[in-house]
Amino acid sequence: MSVYAKPLSPEVVSQGDNTMVLSMGPQHPSTHGVLQIVLEIDSENVVKADPEIGYLHTGIEKTAEGLFWTQAQTVIERMDYLAPSSNALCYSLAVEKLLGITNRIPARAQTIRVMDMELTRIASHCVWLGTHGIDLGAISVFFYCFDLRENILDLQEANGGARMHPNYMRVGGCNGDLPQGYLAKLDALIEKFPGRMRELRGLLQANPIFQDRTIDVGVLTPEEALQWSVTGPSLRASGIAYDVRKAYPYTGYDTYEFDVPTRAEGDAYARFLVRLDEMEQSMRIVKQARKRLETPGPVMIDDPKVALPPKETIALSMEALIHHFKLISEGFRVPPGDVYQCVESPRGELGYYIVSDGENRPYRVRTRPPSLYNLQALKGIAPGNLIADLVVMIGSLDPVFGEVDR
Amino acid sequence: MPSTQNPPIAGAAIDPPSLRPPIDDAAIERIEPSRLRERLEALQRDGYAVLLDLGAVDYLRRTPRFDVVYHLLKLAPRRAGVADVATPARVRLLCGVELNQHLHTVTDLWKSADWAEREVYDLFGIVFDGHPDLRRIQMPRDWEGHPLRKDYPMRGPARERAPRPAFANKSNVVSGTPPTGRTLEALQEQVKRARES
Repeated sequence: MSVYAKPLSPEVVSQGDNTMVLSMGPQHPSTHGVLQIVLEIDSENVVKADPEIGYLHTGIEKTAEGLFWTQAQTVIERMDYLAPSSNALCYSLAVEKLLGITNRIPARAQTIRVMDMELTRIASHCVWLGTHGIDLGAISVFFYCFDLRENILDLQEANGGARMHPNYMRVGGCNGDLPQGYLAKLDALIEKFPGRMRELRGLLQANPIFQDRTIDVGVLTPEEALQWSVTGPSLRASGIAYDVRKAYPYTGYDTYEFDVPTRAEGDAYARFLVRLDEMEQSMRIVKQARKRLETPGPVMIDDPKVALPPKETIALSMEALIHHFKLISEGFRVPPGDVYQCVESPRGELGYYIVSDGENRPYRVRTRPPSLYNLQALKGIAPGNLIADLVVMIGSLDPVFGEVDR
Repeated sequence: MPSTQNPPIAGAAIDPPSLRPPIDDAAIERIEPSRLRERLEALQRDGYAVLLDLGAVDYLRRTPRFDVVYHLLKLAPRRAGVADVATPARVRLLCGVELNQHLHTVTDLWKSADWAEREVYDLFGIVFDGHPDLRRIQMPRDWEGHPLRKDYPMRGPARERAPRPAFANKSNVVSGTPPTGRTLEALQEQVKRARES
């Protein structure tokens, strides 16, 4: 165990007669971040697995309490660093509900949000698939996945200015319209996607080694999945078709046509198939959004108390200058109240429980991190399996530690 | 750039959840700690199979001071074969808790409450009786204080600044390398001053 690891508590290291305790991580390539699992093992078999988290705790919720409503979004985006847009969208929707402006968000902004969410989902699943493949020794999948993800990051860079954390969605809409040439790049991606998906499926789906490693590994029964509050693709692979986009449609998801892929087996292979199907469904939504993007329109709410005035008006209009100054120097105030808003992030139901006390900073931002609950299920499914299969299980649950630890 | 050091703490006795009607899909209930356990058991029997989230909020100047917030989700019963979730239902339970008041754990009702309760304990200091393994989860084991409390400073507790080592006591001296040059002079100066006093 490295010197940086947290000292183990006595309860964790207690062991039976024939077992030994092994600490896996926190620096271990297959734990996808900084996860330590304290394993009690009987030869190769796991008797008890106790994940230790908190190595990446950065106090994002506390930091957010000290920032303006708009500023808080920058730290909140860093929770799920593989799908920053889902955090940003969920937070924006929650604040918009508190402000009472949900119905006034322009249609084009909603379309861009949906498109961004789905692109982000594909990019996030690309990272999951690539690293999942590497865990199982299939190195080349990684390069195919990251090539596809690169195209999506290019798009994010084009509209947000940054590849990883674009901070493009804002309370009230999006920050600026799509740049010139964006739609051409998007079209190229839409064109390329089916072929790339065929290649990915060809590499893994019928691969006997991959199937041997994943079929019947880490089986999560529906009852257990609900007990552990598992959501997202992992829940749908256990046969429960709960998807926030369908159950509680937000930002216009009810106007798009898409299916919710489900499987009944509940093993790692089922989770793999569900995520692959999901990527294709996401592209289906992106295509529909692409058609709607032909119609120009505003992308930010027309409300000077929330949205920054257009740059060109500042030199001409006194009101615009004042609004700009007030929004930058003290932000906007949000009426007091509490709200819970959830979205379907690539990992499951991401929720924000936000309390406002009427000030220009959030009083409390509680996150419902899907990764935290999904990862916790490891305690239930790991015992009785081989250590080597533990790697598959972690990969198939797809935790992101920025979000688990916050 | 505004200072993030000391955000203003809102006025006395704030209770934002009571200030406006619910604006999301959940049914909201406020419940006494004594009746909480009984109500949660009833809800679970009623089909609320998922404990979506368990969090807390610190209203520093209100009585009771904390709110522990339970988000429950009910999915429609599963049909054989094809899964179908018709219209799920949500409920949000707000439970006011005083400082040092304990709550009963729900880990026996929903396994997922394990880490959620540990986190509330870690970041707010609310103790859940009967929890099988209540220890810190995000902060290091030996951490003092509960960071998400409103009286916990934004940048952590003020600590004594470590006294700067004197020039002559630099590491090369401590580790045995013979001092030379300016270091030697400073050392001799220190010894001289010590003798004089």
